[in-house]
Amino acid sequence: MPASSESTVALPAGVALHARPAATFVKTALRFRSRMTVALDGKVADAKSILAVLALGAVGGTELRLTAEGEDAPDALAALSSCVSGLVE
Amino acid sequence: MAGAEVKIEPAGGGPGGSLGTSGDAVREAIARADCGEGVVVLADLGSSILTVRHLLQGKANGHVRLVDAPFVEGAVAAAVMSSAGQSLEDVARAAEEARGASKF
Repeated sequence: MPASSESTVALPAGVALHARPAATFVKTALRFRSRMTVALDGKVADAKSILAVLALGAVGGTELRLTAEGEDAPDALAALSSCVSGLVE
Repeated sequence: MAGAEVKIEPAGGGPGGSLGTSGDAVREAIARADCGEGVVVLADLGSSILTVRHLLQGKANGHVRLVDAPFVEGAVAAAVMSSAGQSLEDVARAAEEARGASKF
């Protein structure tokens, strides 16, 4: 039964979601089968698309809303949340 | 961004470094990039596209794929997908989808 989960996580202060951190983020999302999104200020991006994630323009300290939908949604969301918290410049 | 495991092989310029495209340089770059799972080729415009199409003529088994994608954005999207172990099909699709991506 596909599950869906949602959570909010803040980018570490001083770490914007620019190319390298965004690549780390997307590569984490790609490890899972679930469909995942990341949203900020009403903009929603496919968490598995590097260009969509970059276009969010998320700066350090921003709250990101993550969603996952699929069989591995809980694991996917946990991994993605911890990825965001652990991002470094 | 993509990590060291993704081979990105540039092949810009004509023979002797002039403006243009060198078929030999492109062929060699494709060979260097090929790790067995397939190669996605991005071309900017004009002779580079004609050159790649000419090189691939007659060996269109899909292993080497010229994608219709923006050069920089397509390369970034493809490299990230490739480094995550995605299939050639998905890597090529990500590059082509970059055409519709906004920068901000």
